[in-house]
Order: sequence, then C-alpha cells, then structure tokens
Amino acid sequence: MSGPIAEALAARPDLAERYADFRSATHTAFGEKRTTMVRQVIAQVHGCPIPDGTPPDPDLADWRSSSRFTCGERAWLAYAERIPFEHTAIADDEAEAVVAELGEAGYVAFSLVAALADAECRAAMVDLPSLTKG
Amino acid sequence: MSTKPRVSSALPGEPPHLLSVLAHQPEIARTFGELYGAFWDSDELGARTKEIARMRNARVTECGFCRNVRFDKAVGEGLAEDTVDDITDDYPTSGRLSDAEKAALRFTDALIHDPALLDRRARPALEKAFTPPQIAELGLGVSLFFALAKALITMGLEPETMTRTVLPTPRVPVPAE
Repeated sequence: MSGPIAEALAARPDLAERYADFRSATHTAFGEKRTTMVRQVIAQVHGCPIPDGTPPDPDLADWRSSSRFTCGERAWLAYAERIPFEHTAIADDEAEAVVAELGEAGYVAFSLVAALADAECRAAMVDLPSLTKG
Repeated sequence: MSTKPRVSSALPGEPPHLLSVLAHQPEIARTFGELYGAFWDSDELGARTKEIARMRNARVTECGFCRNVRFDKAVGEGLAEDTVDDITDDYPTSGRLSDAEKAALRFTDALIHDPALLDRRARPALEKAFTPPQIAELGLGVSLFFALAKALITMGLEPETMTRTVLPTPRVPVPAE
C-alpha cells in the first residue's frame, strides 16, 4: 500500500499494518474502481497528484463534460468534490441522492473513502513522509 | 450543517452514531476499532499531546461531537479544561501549552488547514520536539481525527446539543473467547 500516511508509518510498523487493513477495508467495501475515481476528483480539488501515484483518468479531469458517467456516479462525484472545503455545506438532498444510488452501506463506505482521500492529500501536501525518516 | 442523520443505525435499538453507522460495514468497523485502539493504546506519543491535536482539529473542522468528548487517558495525563480553552488561534501565546504541544498544534494546523504553516521555523521545531516515530503517530492521528470529523459531519451525525463528556479511551478490542 502506498501514499503519504502509509509511507510515514514505515517508522511505526505496529500502526502501519492496522492502517493498511482499515484503508483496504474501506476501498474493498466501496469498490476499487469507484475508490480510484473519488481519490482522483478529491486530488483535483486540492490541485495535487493522486497521493498514491495512480495515473489520472483523463475523462475524470472534466467529468461533468464527459458522457461516460451515469447520473448516479455524477451524484457521488459531485458530493466527493465538496468534501475538502465545503463539507459543512452539503445539503440533505445531495446526501439523499447519494444514498439512493449507493445504499446506506455503500454511502458509509463512500463517506470514509472520501474523507480518507482528503486527509491523504493534505498529508502529502505537508510531505509527511519526509518528517518521519529521521 | 445537518444534524439530521443521513444514514440509519445498523445496530437494533441504537440511535445513529459513528459506531452504529459503521456497523453497516462490519469489516470497516472491525479494522477501524483495531487501528484507533492501537493508536490510543500506544504510549510512544503521550495521550495528552494526541488529545490536544484532536481538540484543535475539532475546532477547525467544526465537529461539535469531537469538541465535547474528552478521552480519559488524556485527562489522566493532566489535560485540564483551562488548557483546552487555550487551543484557539492564539495558542502560540498560551502559558499552559508546552513548546512541544505548540509545535504539534502548528503541525496539526498545517496538515488540516494550511501546509504553508509548516515553514522553515515550524518544521525544525517539530523535529526538535518529537522523534520520527512520534511524528508518524501524530501524523496518523491528525489524519484520522480529520477524516472522522468529516465523515461524522457529512453523514449528519453531529448532535444538536451535547455536554462535555469524558469517555473511555479507545483500546484495541479484546477477542471474545
């Protein structure tokens, strides 16, 4: 597993494995393909590369203009974009649309995937791994 | 910000809260419990420092639940309310927070709010105050506090009102026999 938090935890193997397990559980629950999409749109909001080095999907760079995405996908992509800087402004109807698409269990997984993606971008932006190399 | 839960509790008889909602995804709930428990069980970085960072995150992310909870391990390490009251934007001038705690707070602000804050003075101050394994633990903690606050808020799990509550500090779950 890569990414700034996983890399920083090389200094703490006891925590590294548990973080990897938790992150993996969220990705498995939401689906790897959808997880990658969420991680990319959140990185785009931050203006940074996807923290684990995944090559970006060019269609996602301007997903609103692409015909590739379903209505349901557009609902949770738009919601994901709100996480980094507008998390308190997300309205109930926006959440309802995502729950309708993903189901409650899927919405829980999505919420954690998006929140962790946001945290990982921020960890990358302070170059967390460089602080833990000693 | 909505205080109307956007997802139901998966535990019969329980209202919607973080753990009852995580129960919709048992493997996520299990691995989260292991991780968060291990993080708070660790004494590599003191609970007081971790709680101070958590309080700063709570204030910046506007997580009311986070702000009103106190974990008992940190309270046991001497974290008093007058010190918590100092964790505002004026924390650099606090006489109750140590230089190491202020360095941890500056790092917290940089990670959750403005990376430019970890500048040419703040970075060495952090590295002077904490070892690399401690910084790794702090970085994990702040990242988790931030992500959990966002998840709580966006899932509508913030309470409308809440009094300050001391809770048992999360621990690694003991396997049932």
